[in-house]
Parts: sequence; C-alpha cells; structure tokens
Amino acid sequence: MKKLTVVLCIFLLLGTVAFAQGSAEGAAKKSNLRVGMVTDAGTIDDKSFNQGTWEGILRASKDYGLDVKYLKPAGTTEADYLKEIGNLVDAGYNFVICPGFKFETALFEAQDKYPNVKFVILDGEPHSADYSVFRIEKNVVAVYWAEHESGFLAGFAAALQIKEGDFGFVGGMEIPAVQKFNWGFQQGVKYANANFGTKIVMKQENNLYQGSFDNVSAGQQIAASMYDRGVDVIFAAAGGVGVGVINEAKNRASSGKNVWVIGVDVDQYPEGVMPNGKSIILTSAMKYLDRASYDMIEAELNGTYPAGQILHLDATNDGVGIPVQNPNLSKSVTDEVAKVYAKLKSGEIKVAAAGDGLFK
Amino acid sequence: MKPMKKREKQSNAFLVAASATVLGLLAGAILMASIGSNPFTGFWYLFRGGLMNIERIGNTLATATTLMLVGLSVAFAYKTGLFNIGASGQMLIGGLCATLVAHKVFLPRPLFLVVLIGAALLGGALWGIIPGFLKAKFNVHEVVASIMMNWIAYWSIYYFIPAYLKGPSLETESASIAVSQSMRSPWLTKLFNGSYMNLAFFVAIAAVLIIKFILDKTTLGFGLKAVGSNRFCAEYAGIKVNRNVIISMMIAGGLAGLAGLSFYTGYSRNMQIGVMPAQGFDGIAVSLLGGNTPLGVLISSLFFGILQSGKGFMNAMTSVPPEIADTIIAVIIYFTATSVLFKRFWDAVLKRQMNKAKRKAEMPETAQKKEDQ
Repeated sequence: MKKLTVVLCIFLLLGTVAFAQGSAEGAAKKSNLRVGMVTDAGTIDDKSFNQGTWEGILRASKDYGLDVKYLKPAGTTEADYLKEIGNLVDAGYNFVICPGFKFETALFEAQDKYPNVKFVILDGEPHSADYSVFRIEKNVVAVYWAEHESGFLAGFAAALQIKEGDFGFVGGMEIPAVQKFNWGFQQGVKYANANFGTKIVMKQENNLYQGSFDNVSAGQQIAASMYDRGVDVIFAAAGGVGVGVINEAKNRASSGKNVWVIGVDVDQYPEGVMPNGKSIILTSAMKYLDRASYDMIEAELNGTYPAGQILHLDATNDGVGIPVQNPNLSKSVTDEVAKVYAKLKSGEIKVAAAGDGLFK
Repeated sequence: MKPMKKREKQSNAFLVAASATVLGLLAGAILMASIGSNPFTGFWYLFRGGLMNIERIGNTLATATTLMLVGLSVAFAYKTGLFNIGASGQMLIGGLCATLVAHKVFLPRPLFLVVLIGAALLGGALWGIIPGFLKAKFNVHEVVASIMMNWIAYWSIYYFIPAYLKGPSLETESASIAVSQSMRSPWLTKLFNGSYMNLAFFVAIAAVLIIKFILDKTTLGFGLKAVGSNRFCAEYAGIKVNRNVIISMMIAGGLAGLAGLSFYTGYSRNMQIGVMPAQGFDGIAVSLLGGNTPLGVLISSLFFGILQSGKGFMNAMTSVPPEIADTIIAVIIYFTATSVLFKRFWDAVLKRQMNKAKRKAEMPETAQKKEDQ
C-alpha cells in the first residue's frame, strides 16, 4: 500500500507541474489573418516543397506578426488532406496554403466547403478526381512555375562550366512540372552548345523518369549506371530519388571521380557537401517557393489577393532561377548566366514548355 | 456463489482497461507538459476534435471502423493462441481486391455491395490462410510468416496498382473510386454533414456481433478457444488443432481484409503504393485494450478513433508541433496496450485484500485461543 501511495504522489506532483506550466500562447497580434499550411508527403524539413513554402510563411509571420501553423496529415490521401484543412479552419485559420499538386482534388472540395477561407495551391489547380471538371473559385489562387526557364538556366550554367562532357537527366514521376524541367534543361544545354561553343552531349538512354519521388535506392542505382556510362553531370528533378543520385555522386566524388549533380526546387548545395567541405551540387534549378507563399500572404494583407486566378511565376517576376551563390561555378559563368537571365526577362530568349524535338 | 464470482471477473477486465487508459493519458499529459503546453487544454481539444460536431463524430466513427475490424481480427486469432501481426498485409490485399471490384464490376447496388464485401473478405482470408497453413503443417511461427506476408502484399501492391489500376496522372496511386462504386453512401455523408462515415461501419458492427456469436455460442468457437487455452489438452479431447489454427487465421485474415475494405473503398477511395497501413499495428493495441473480446474491441476502437481523429484539431489549437502530437498519441496507444501489466497489478491487489479478509476472519479464532491459554 505504501508503494501505491508513493506512486500516486509522484503522479500528483507531475500533474501540478503540468498545470503550472500553463499556456504561454497568444502574444499580441497585429493582424487577424491566421495562416495555416498542410504539409504534402514528407516532413516539414524536406529541403523541398514543404520547407520552402513554410520558410516563406515564417518570414511573413515575422514581418507582419501573423499567427501561423502547419499540420502534418496522417497520410497523403484526399481524405487526409481534407481532414487537416478542416482542422485548420475549425481552429480559426482563414488563409490556408497547400504545397503540391496532390492537393488539387482536396481543394476542389474545400473551396466550396469553406467559402470564407482563402486558399493558395502551389504547383496545381483544383479539379475533380477524374479530371473531368476544372474549376477555381474566388477563394483560391493557383500558382504554377515556369520550370522550363529554371531548367534552362541550370542547363546553360552547367554546360558553360563543364564545357565538354556528357549530361544526364533523372526525373521523378512523369508529371508536367518535372517534364518542363527536363525540356528546359535540354534547351539550355543546346543554347550553350550553339552560342558558346561548348561540347555537351546528351543521349536518350541518359534521360529517364524513375516513376516516384521517394525511392532513394532506385535513384542511386540509376545514377550509378549513368555515371558508369560516362555521364559527368546529372540533373535530378526527383525529390527523394534525387537524394539517391546525390548520394551516389558523393560516393564517387569521395573516391576521386569528377562527377556533378544539378539540384532542383531549392538550393541543394548543402545537401551535396562532402566531408572535405566541397559540394557535388554544381548549381540548382530553383523555384522560389518561399517567395510565392510570402507574396500571397502579403497580397492578402494589402487587399490585392488575386482571387480565382491561376498565376504563372517565371523569370519576368523573379519566380525561378539559379541560386545567388554558386561556389562551384566560376565568376565568368555566373556573369554569363546573369546576362541570359536578363534576356529571359526581356523576352529576347524564349524557352519552350514543350518537348518537341527533345528527349521525351 | 457462482454468478457473484463471474461479476467480479468482469469488473476486473474493465478495471484493467480503464487503468491502462488512465496511465496512457497520464503519460501523454506528462509529455505535453514537458514540451511546455498545458495538458488539460490539450486533451480538451483532442476530445473536442473527435466529437465537436456531427461531421467530426462521423469521421471518428469512420476512423474507428478500420481499427475495430483490425482489432477484431487480432482478438480472434488471439483466442486460438495465435498472434496475427499480419493484419496490415491482409488489409492491403483485401483493399486491393475491393478496389479491383470497385473499378471493374458493375452491378445493381445491393448485389454490388455484397460482391465488394465478399471480395475484401476473400482477399484477406487468402492472406491469412497461408500463415495458418504454414503453422499447422510445418509449425512455422505465425508471426514470422505473417510479417513476410505483409511485405509480399506491400510489394505486390507496388507492382499491381501502377500496372492495372493506375490513376490518370499519378503512378503511385490507383484511380479514385466513384462514390456510387464505393462504401460511401450519399445519405450517410449527408447525415453526417459531409464526413467520411461510410457503410463499412455497419459491416464492422455486424462483424463484432457475428464473431461474438461464433466464439460464445458455436462448437467452432468452443474448439478455437480450446486450442487457444491449451492445444495439447484440446488435441487430447479430440479437437483437430491444425484445422482450427487454419480456420482461425483464415477468419482473422478475412476480418482484416474487411478493414482494408473500410479504409480503401470507404475512407480514402483509392490505394497508394509504398504505404504499409499503420492501422494493422494499431489494431493490436485496440485488441489488447479491449481484453481480446469482441465487445471490448468495439469500445476500445471508438476510444482510439477519437484519439486519431481529434489529433489534428489539438494540433491546430495548441502550440504542440505535429511530430510531438504523433508521439503523444503513440505514447497513449502503447501505454494502453500495457493492460496486461495492470491485470497482474489488480490481481495482486485483489488477492492481498482477499487474504486480509481471510486473516480477519481467522483472527477472532486465534484471539479466542489466546484467551483460552
């Protein structure tokens, strides 16, 4: 009986400690805008979609003193997404950002279910599950990126840096966003070959889609066979599959081979850092996810929320590009890239968002 | 004297489950407090998230449906002394068969539902019967065999979905099932204000009753339980142990297959590759908390349903980060699964009290003896 009393006392003590902690929430807020985000497949620190979007939200929260929150669904089905959107709405969040095309069908329902909540979907637009109906209501903004321009710049920069060699491409799933990266990349390399005298070869066998965004080991195997075939640089637009590519490149670079990877979505330079402090990431084809989420929040605060619109972010509005810092690119290369970027901006160079005459 | 004894036993089972739940919630509270949030508001939002309005109640029931069927599957196998850890794989195959039917078979609704449910049942039963057969014939431990079956199911889905049921844009998930071909039903969705509540809930309730009937009222059930209590004794009594092992795993598999039906054609309406359903393992905790009895499973699955579906709201209302919220739920689940320890604890307490009472009863006698001396 004594033992039992002791145990009960301990629990009681812990209970009071718990109570004493209280709630330290609810600091002064300047705006009544409360921004929520539902994460896509993967974690908040995925170095890609989730993280990029969340960083933008955090930046906005710091600048404007907003209440922000992200929720992680139990799975990646429409039901899971809708549940978390519902949780955010019920908790009083009135501005919900959904990163990724997987939210398309969930938002198709949510836009009617929660007419007083404003949504932003990145990389997609609301449509019914069987793709028969595409409809975007006044409380949704859809954001697309010109991935082909981003891929173009990265391909061009890499070609200029390497000058002579063999380039490959590894995609995740064969979806428009990834295909556009691929097509733009090929155009960028061709542009360098045609106008700057570089001799970069690309072959059909070194251009493929793995079929998922999470199969790390498959990415590693594909990269291994490509490097074995003499490829020098792989552009990996493949999420987790790209992580496998980076791992393989690191292994080879550590044993003295001269191989490179081009990152995607965000600046992946830190991902490719080896024990010797160098990174195997040559450059990255970026989509400025953080800018998109930040800009949308800012637009809402300024009363210029582009209701019901489908936005396309490209070079003209600084939505895509390569990182500002590229330690693996020489100064002359980055200067040339800046010039090309200006030409993209002015419309002097046009990158096709289609695969005509290219691989796949 | 006899009925009195029986009641004592029952209250014991309830006491065990209740104390395990309290400990689970306490452990969750300590974890919440240790990251600096108030556990009382946390739990308040957790339960409100599961029960706040009719839509959320519907979602809770839909979540509980899957857990109930898996819990029932585990409990049923347990009665025969088997540990069915292969519920995840059985769910996958049951779900796959149901998804196939949903996409390829077109029949009048009542008949269609029968075929849909039958397909899931058969798929799960097939996945359960294999470990059962291996156990009966070659004495391969069912835990090893059914874990292997989990992975075979996992990778079969990996191949099967992209090859035959691919969605219009995504390689990694099957095409979405039309509402009219799923377990969802417009009147139920409307009744529960647009929740995921679906017909599988009634299937689960029916399954609970049927399994209770089989276990308590039939010769088959008696045989299964006899094998579970002591297989050598059962064998000596002329019960075909091997046959019962196979039947038990088959039925357990079928129940888990129904869980797949409820999850993949009711809750989510499509299947994704590369996902091992966690419900297959949560079901073990559901079964343990429910004392491995059908009605116990029914109640404990509702409790787990509240936890699972209220989690997101707790998350949204408090400063608990999502990853920690998952941990809190996991802590509660796994502490509640420690009910076995509580059984021992309460047994010891009761025994001591009984001994005390006995001693008290003996005491006057000895005292008198002393006086005599």
